[in-house]
Amino acid sequence: MTVAAFALVACMLTVYVMLDGYDLGIATSLSAVARNERERAAAIRAIGPFWNGNEVWLIATGAVLFALFPKAYASAFSGFYLPFIVVLWLLMFRGIAMELRGHFDSVLWREFWDAAFSASSALLLALFGIALGNLLRGLPLDAHGYFMGTLAYLLNGYALLVGIFAVLVLVQHGLAFLSLRVDGAFSQRVRGLASHLWWVSAGGYVAVTAATFAVRGSTLALSPVAPVALLSIVALLLLRRWILRERDVAAFLASCAFVSTLLAEAAATIFPYLLPARPLGHGGLSIYDAQPNPIALVTAFVTTIAGLTVVVAYSAFVARRMMERIRVDD
Amino acid sequence: MQFAFTVMFHYLFPIATMGLAPFVAWYTYKAAGGRDEEAQRAARFWMKIFAINFAAGVVTGIPMEFQFGTNWAAFAARTGAVVGQPLALEGVYAFFLESVFLGVLFYGRRFVGARLHALSAVLVCLGAWLSGYFIVCTDAWMQHPVGYTIVPDGRIGLTNLGAVLLSRFALWQVAHVLTGALISGGFIVAGVGAYYLLAHRNEALGRRFVRDGTIVGLLFSLIAIFPTGDGNGADVTRWQPAKLAAMEGLFTSQAGAPLAIIGMPDVKQQRLVDPIYVPRLLSYLAYGNWKANVRGIDAYPSALRPPIELTYYAYHIMVGLGTIFVAVCALGGVLLVSGKLYGARPVLWALMLLMPFPYIANEAGWIVTEVGRQPWIVYGVMRTSAAASATVPAGEALFTLLGFAGMYFVLGVLVLHLMLREIGKGPVSAP
Repeated sequence: MTVAAFALVACMLTVYVMLDGYDLGIATSLSAVARNERERAAAIRAIGPFWNGNEVWLIATGAVLFALFPKAYASAFSGFYLPFIVVLWLLMFRGIAMELRGHFDSVLWREFWDAAFSASSALLLALFGIALGNLLRGLPLDAHGYFMGTLAYLLNGYALLVGIFAVLVLVQHGLAFLSLRVDGAFSQRVRGLASHLWWVSAGGYVAVTAATFAVRGSTLALSPVAPVALLSIVALLLLRRWILRERDVAAFLASCAFVSTLLAEAAATIFPYLLPARPLGHGGLSIYDAQPNPIALVTAFVTTIAGLTVVVAYSAFVARRMMERIRVDD
Repeated sequence: MQFAFTVMFHYLFPIATMGLAPFVAWYTYKAAGGRDEEAQRAARFWMKIFAINFAAGVVTGIPMEFQFGTNWAAFAARTGAVVGQPLALEGVYAFFLESVFLGVLFYGRRFVGARLHALSAVLVCLGAWLSGYFIVCTDAWMQHPVGYTIVPDGRIGLTNLGAVLLSRFALWQVAHVLTGALISGGFIVAGVGAYYLLAHRNEALGRRFVRDGTIVGLLFSLIAIFPTGDGNGADVTRWQPAKLAAMEGLFTSQAGAPLAIIGMPDVKQQRLVDPIYVPRLLSYLAYGNWKANVRGIDAYPSALRPPIELTYYAYHIMVGLGTIFVAVCALGGVLLVSGKLYGARPVLWALMLLMPFPYIANEAGWIVTEVGRQPWIVYGVMRTSAAASATVPAGEALFTLLGFAGMYFVLGVLVLHLMLREIGKGPVSAP
């Protein structure tokens, strides 16, 4: 049961990254990909109806984590107090920037808010990556599972590498989404950019994999990561193939598969810990330490699964109805 | 402190979304027939106002969701088995519903039929209310903990989710909170309508807004007093008598206790300054018996007393404003029936100027609830002083408080600007 609960939280987080990842990725690459106001407006319209709902996945994941693993929720969020508050500020700021850009018909005004929008989105992606990197690397924890390190500690080389990789992968993910949402020459250029970026993110994948082996060493060999890693390589190759063949929907799905297998690898690597302690192999806050009493665990698990089934059904229905290519007149 | 500030600011927006959602749903439903062009404009207009408040509610709500962990780690770790439940339910059952169908409502008219569009409006409303329901359940459990057990390591375990979600305390509190939001919704709609009539713009819709808003305002300000206010009062009397004493400024226990209409509590001297009393009424309201003994603040050791002044004033502000709402709406209702309301400029002025006051009444109500519960964070189970995060230094908390203050100032100005702009533009025809 506890393992299933861990899988549920990991799945919800993966869905969040898959969804909000594309709108953050598009936002990050906004000035690189869109050349004029029409294209920028189209890019923003491409995510307009969805980004708010995407962020709900983060809120819901946080709430479900609270219900299923209250101690981890308390420990993680109070331990990483400052980084976490910064993430919250960035999320808020990003929403404000997106809202404000259209309110005055002035080039300078829009340019400023577009830059703010891109910068806060890029920083968010990097911070998510840095957080993941630190989880993989292990954290200094006290006996109760509370984080004992400093802010500077979190900005280590490995975590920064994962942060950069997160930006790359999710920008690519965003481009894959954008190419299926817009049409014409704009769509063509998005694909071109995605195929160039592919080499960089593939290189990043190799680098991060090597670095993870260096950081985790022997603990990695024992975990069930290898078959999942194979899947992510397949997804990455398919992504390239379908970008080049202009099969946008398939390419986006391949990108989804790539992102989710990466996160599955990460989850399998840290399992059974929610916060692995450093040095690795010396425990941490495990899912068994963090779970509530059995009735609470079962109740929260069942209600969440039931609710999410309905959510996924109506979200898919709505997304299908509203998905259409946005015309960008040249 | 940071939590109190952020939550009070955040709550401004759910008041508006919970209060306006039914109006959006109603006008969208009326517009679905296709013939009522006016309703279509009204729906579009309130949808925009709703969306502004919803976006601000989400943006300010994300920190709330995580502050339980960041700032109240000890509380979250100890009570998470119970408190996490309604929060997870809210996330999964309410937030998605509201946000997904708001997307349909806003962008989807071209993709879905009129009936599905109207259904979306109803689902958005349902989502907003469910969200309110679950979050109030969380608070109600902190007021009156039920369905839990204390497990050997001192943490709290859940035994019965149904008891948490359906406790008498929770249901009355939810009813009262929703009523409060609907009063606000009614006053916003009536106030905007009154503005249009006073300024001689969009008069046809202005009349409709004034009519609909006044009816809703009247209905729910009556319901706020009886039965929902009364039900809450009974629960507080039964389970939190110290809060009752603080609310009413009753310093000494007595039989046949009077109800203080006004008066200023002087905690040092333990008495009300310049009070106006209605003899014996408090005993009757609390226990249905004119001679019943009501315990005063002196019945509790000072360590168990809530902050008296704040609780007392907040309560009297809420009740006083509630009375004014009933009076103004009743007057409006009488004029409406006799067909004179739309020309009665003084009443229209009153309706317009009263717009912010339901917000104050709502917030004051929450101050009574939360401050009156002190020194407990979970009544009778856990003290507030034991709930905060041990690992967060005061300097960091201050820094982030300042950050939130800055961010919220910008956001507040922005929301106000956007709303005023929409109201200024008025319900123009749909694109």
